[in-house]
Amino acid sequence: MKTTRQGTRRTLHALLLAGAGLCIAGSAQAADPMVKACAKDGQFVIGFSQANNAEPYRQHVNDELTAAAKAVPGFALQIADGAGNVNTQTSQVDNFITQKVDLLLISPFEAAPLTPAVKRAMDAGIPVIELDRKTVGDPGKDYTAFIGGDNYKIALEAGKYTAKTLLPDGGEAAVLEGLPSSTPAVERLNGFKDGVKENAKIQVVAEQAADWVPDKAQTAFAAMLQAHPDIKVLYASNDMMAAGALLAAKGAGKQVKIIGTDGLPGPAGGIEAVAKGDWAATFTYPTGAKEAIEMSKKILLDCATSVEPTVTVETTAITAENAKQLMGK
Amino acid sequence: MSEQKISVTASPAVPAAAPRHRDPLALVVRFQSLIGLVVVAIGGIIFSPRRHGQILFLDPDNIANIVRAVSETGIIAIGMTFVIITAGIDLSVGAVLGLSSVVTASMMISGGFGLIPTILAVLIMGVVFGAIQGTISTRFRLEPFIVTLAGLQAARGLALVVSGNQYINISYGDGPGLAPPVFAILGERLFNNTVPVATIVFIVFAAIATIVLNTTRFGRYVFAVGGNERAARISGVPVSMVKISVYAITGFASALAGIVHAGQFNFGSANDGMGYELTAIAAVVIGGTSLFGGAGSMVGTVAGTIMLGALANILQLNNITPAMQLLATAAIIVLAAVLQSLVRRREGLGR
Repeated sequence: MKTTRQGTRRTLHALLLAGAGLCIAGSAQAADPMVKACAKDGQFVIGFSQANNAEPYRQHVNDELTAAAKAVPGFALQIADGAGNVNTQTSQVDNFITQKVDLLLISPFEAAPLTPAVKRAMDAGIPVIELDRKTVGDPGKDYTAFIGGDNYKIALEAGKYTAKTLLPDGGEAAVLEGLPSSTPAVERLNGFKDGVKENAKIQVVAEQAADWVPDKAQTAFAAMLQAHPDIKVLYASNDMMAAGALLAAKGAGKQVKIIGTDGLPGPAGGIEAVAKGDWAATFTYPTGAKEAIEMSKKILLDCATSVEPTVTVETTAITAENAKQLMGK
Repeated sequence: MSEQKISVTASPAVPAAAPRHRDPLALVVRFQSLIGLVVVAIGGIIFSPRRHGQILFLDPDNIANIVRAVSETGIIAIGMTFVIITAGIDLSVGAVLGLSSVVTASMMISGGFGLIPTILAVLIMGVVFGAIQGTISTRFRLEPFIVTLAGLQAARGLALVVSGNQYINISYGDGPGLAPPVFAILGERLFNNTVPVATIVFIVFAAIATIVLNTTRFGRYVFAVGGNERAARISGVPVSMVKISVYAITGFASALAGIVHAGQFNFGSANDGMGYELTAIAAVVIGGTSLFGGAGSMVGTVAGTIMLGALANILQLNNITPAMQLLATAAIIVLAAVLQSLVRRREGLGR
């Protein structure tokens, strides 16, 4: 007797559960978690495919990501270095897919070449958050989300700052470009040139590529100062080149207002150079690392059903006014 | 010693690498990269992460990743093997890959050329570029190191000029400004989505190169020139022609790798292929080809190439830092070079 009652009860339970399950399934079309295996207390592996560890800025991204991931108990972060080579980076993304990482973070070295690899990850059910650089397609569709700064806008800000604050009465300006034909180099060059157009009395008299590195920047800027002794402002497309340019200006005994880009922290970083009064300004290029780990938490731990497809992290102008207080951060 | 040299060149059909002393060490060197590949593979299996009892390293997808990733440097290393057997070196290969990828992309996208004319033009360009370097080197008795170093700069410069300092994306479709969709096959896999097309190009090229090196008169000439140039000249080997040809072959290989690169990544950039020359030289040396010339093996080069790829793969699967990867590669190169030098000493070739 007892047993049959229990049996009926069990059947009822089962029916109820099944019904509930059906209801959930029915309404879940729009509200499935993005990752089925998500769990508050789960253990997750996040693969980060970095474009090129040789760039100090990218090392800084790695450091921030590592720190942010360490703060989350269930997260293990693996970083692969693409070494500035689209073929290497593609194979590393494929390796992450083989490993079935729970989430892929990527800063593609170039957009089009890494697009197929990102598609393979998405097809394998791995969410892909793109950091700092995008592949071809739309966030939210071809990849999960993009988090990063806007190279063009950051350089545009630097150009406007030059037009309004550094050279209000006009004069000669120069630009040091990154690695020619690489996406960020092109975007930053165009952004700065569009920004200084606000002041018709400023002429950009020289542009040279220095491949992001300080020694080439020093050589290039020394030559520029020979040819154009009246250069008042130099826009360097990254902090490293700004550091090289400063050496050239000192060597030539010239007072040039130097603007960097990236705003790297720490000794020999851009923030310190501005605080010391060596440069006029640097414009930070935020890593988005904290935001990326936050988003990973939402997807993997909180079982989010959707995330913001584009998160633009804003640049901060670091000038003589705020550099000292930002030093310790 | 002198006897030996004469015997090598008098019968160039016998490559100097053939161990005539039955020296076990010489045998090891002959097959060192194959042995190395087996060792790395066994290591890969032992240290591979496992999922549900499956060995990830042996996963068909993983094997496909490995052989796809090495196909470009592999194609270049095959050309480089010819050059190094003649005791030469070609540093321009990576830059020629970049130039070829840019020319491939711009001919199809902005030039409106079809697939076949584009591929032919790029391959011819590679051959001409290499032949020019070979000619300058032989005509003016210049070190190939210097000539191809200049060639590297020239190729990068030309690539920037052709591309107008911009990277070129390849979009597919029918019409002006689009590449024929069939070109994208270079980024895909055949045979039920298992074998990467880039790898097929690599293996076919390797097979042809092996036949040329080991069975043709030209192949014998290549060994003869590297073994002893003077003796080769005296015994009627057209030394200049052989030297110019090997640089033309390397140029062809770099152009082929550039086409594969453009098709795999839908992209051409002057910056592509940076550092490939060193990866290729490493693969050739690990493969048992002597930088002093006169001895080498194409199969060794292929095994050396795949070994380096497998090593990178297993280190990443285990989340070991890139620093360790570089150090491991360095150790393998040194080991390969030391083995070779031991054998040369035993054979009384000095150095």
